[in-house]
Amino acid sequence: MVLADLGRRINAALAKINKEPVIDEKVLDAVLKDICHALLEADVNVRLVGNLRNNVKTAVNIQDLAAGINKRRVIQKAVLDELCKLVEPGTEPYKPRKGANNIIMFVGLQGSGKTTTCTKLAYHYQRKGWKVCLVCADTFRAGAFDQLKQNATKAKIPYYGSYTETDPVQIAHEGVEKFRKDGFEIIIVDTSGRHKQETELFEEMKQISAVVNPDNTIFVMDGTIGQAAESQAKAFHEAADIGSIIITKMDGHAKGGGAISAVAATHSPIIFIGTGEHIHDLERFEPRRFVQKMLGMGDMTGLFET
Amino acid sequence: LFSFFKNITGQREINEEDLTLVLANMKEHLIKKNVAADIATHLCDSVSRTLVGQKIGSFKSIRSIVKQSMESALRRILTPKTSVDLLRDILQAQSESRPYTICFIGVNGVGKSTNLSKTCFWLLQNGFKVLIAGCDTFRSGAVEQLKVHVRNLNALGQNSVVELYERGYGKDAAGIAKDAINFAKANGFDVVLIDTAGRMQDNEPLMRALAKLVTVNNPDKIIFVGEALVGNEAVDQLTKFNQALKDFSGLQNPRHIDGIILTKFDTIDDKVGAALSMAYTTGQPILFVGTGQTYTDLKNMKVGHIVQALLKE
Ligand SMILES: Nc1nc2c(ncn2[C@@H]2O[C@H](COP(=O)(O)OP(=O)(O)OP(=O)(O)O)[C@@H](O)[C@H]2O)c(=O)[nH]1
Ligand SMILES: Nc1nc2c(ncn2[C@@H]2O[C@H](COP(=O)(O)OP(=O)(O)OP(=O)(O)O)[C@@H](O)[C@H]2O)c(=O)[nH]1
Ligand SMILES: [Mg+2]
Ligand SMILES: [Mg+2]
Repeated sequence: MVLADLGRRINAALAKINKEPVIDEKVLDAVLKDICHALLEADVNVRLVGNLRNNVKTAVNIQDLAAGINKRRVIQKAVLDELCKLVEPGTEPYKPRKGANNIIMFVGLQGSGKTTTCTKLAYHYQRKGWKVCLVCADTFRAGAFDQLKQNATKAKIPYYGSYTETDPVQIAHEGVEKFRKDGFEIIIVDTSGRHKQETELFEEMKQISAVVNPDNTIFVMDGTIGQAAESQAKAFHEAADIGSIIITKMDGHAKGGGAISAVAATHSPIIFIGTGEHIHDLERFEPRRFVQKMLGMGDMTGLFET
Repeated sequence: LFSFFKNITGQREINEEDLTLVLANMKEHLIKKNVAADIATHLCDSVSRTLVGQKIGSFKSIRSIVKQSMESALRRILTPKTSVDLLRDILQAQSESRPYTICFIGVNGVGKSTNLSKTCFWLLQNGFKVLIAGCDTFRSGAVEQLKVHVRNLNALGQNSVVELYERGYGKDAAGIAKDAINFAKANGFDVVLIDTAGRMQDNEPLMRALAKLVTVNNPDKIIFVGEALVGNEAVDQLTKFNQALKDFSGLQNPRHIDGIILTKFDTIDDKVGAALSMAYTTGQPILFVGTGQTYTDLKNMKVGHIVQALLKE
């Protein structure tokens, strides 16, 4: 499991507290130093790591802890809370409504995994009995339509796209209208990769979004991304009102810490992680369970009673 | 008080304590620039080792000395140690009347196929006849993607000769590469560019298949394509790709990555740390940086610019 290693290191840091006869500021600092280094190695945003360190210190407030209070517990809980904060935006993910047209638009940086994930998500809903379809609004990347078409064909999902129309706004509009009329419940729109430095590409994304009028815009992030993640995520959010995040390529060695910064930048939840190139390789993501699993903690109730 | 006097009397020796805070800040600064955390740590440790015990003038600040020392360390790492003159190597192969072969490898979605096409554009401009070998037989649309590029590239230059050699999907990539190279030999192509499927460095079956492709075809250059967006994973990717080429080759003198193309450089502002992580991990040159999605967006890396961006506040 990708997160086991990060969890192990954070646990090892926390375990240090057990070995110390007296838990003082110095011990706490040492523990935090280890935890922060582990997070930085997992690509978590430097500023967010700094916040985590400060917040734990404030929450624990070691000098004022009365004797007899279980300091180890207090520290552990503070760390857990902060880790949860990293992945919990405090908003509920969008839930598609049965019988209605739910329009989902995919956006993200180049090569992050949008097209692959579009089909995975469509397939996920299809298996659950929803009426799903795909629209290819990427007219830029060479072979983009063939890619989506081949994926959709394998999964037996209806699709819309064009080899000749060069305007993605036009295609998105036509495709969505057609499927809307035909009563499709989940209409997924794939778009080209783009980045904040190219204003024209962002302008195009806004135009597609305007004609498609998505119920949910999903931001797809590569799990290997480093410190550039935050500013890109912010820019995408400002331009496209991101509602959910999917982190891809979590089947490798990456811990996804960079992509996690998108949670704070977009105030949106991570809903799935991609764990491979095949259509089944999509796992549901639940933030709190994720952190608990990462820390190898089974029953957490004890921790919250301090 | 004593050290204070030493200070105004002229020279003093740097000790470890002087450096601790400055280097801690430097480390965080490098990580912010997207340098892998371990590499940032190593670099700061080595700067510390060089500086401890050095005598400095009293008016020089520790900060500027650390910065100076770091600057030369960064420059050293980023400066290529082997030739980066691909054109010369290709001419050499031409004089031996054989095609020069370049294999593009890397993890998923980093820009292998696109930057292969950019490289092709550059080679065509230099008058070479190029064959592209479509050896990504897995990812949907991979073959059609190259078809579009070949069509575009032929339309762009009047006398350009570029063809695609492909056998569709599901076939053995090593075999297709071999056939492509033979086809190139028979038909007077100067260069064969081998496009491979993206793969995760931990995926053993796929890494074995890549090692096989390399062993069977022994390309002149193995180029690792990595994206400037990647964080700490850069280290693991490069280490494991090299390791796989070594472990799974069955050869006495296994191959390794010969050079790097650093893509998506236009997406990272001044967070250029991946360049350093990759050069540090492999000791191999960054042959090109990809700076966009069109054929001309392939540039030579300027070491000075990277060093500057890394140190800029
Ligand atoms: N290992 C692995 N590979 C993935 C995953 N998701 C996507 N990929 C691969 O990543 C590469 C890029 O995926 P695409 O779906 O083409 O990415 P994209 O965002 O649509 O790319 P552009 O349209 O060019 O911006 C492909 O090789 C996919 O097979 C994943 O979860 N794991
Ligand atoms: N902004 C920017 N985008 C790039 C650059 N190089 C490639 N891309 C984009 O990155 C995306 C993925 O590129 P591909 O060439 O398909 O990547 P790949 O490594 O061949 O992908 P797989 O074969 O699926 O593993 C495409 O949308 C490219 O246009 C670059 O230098 N800058
Ligand atoms: Mg795509
Ligand atoms: Mg490719």
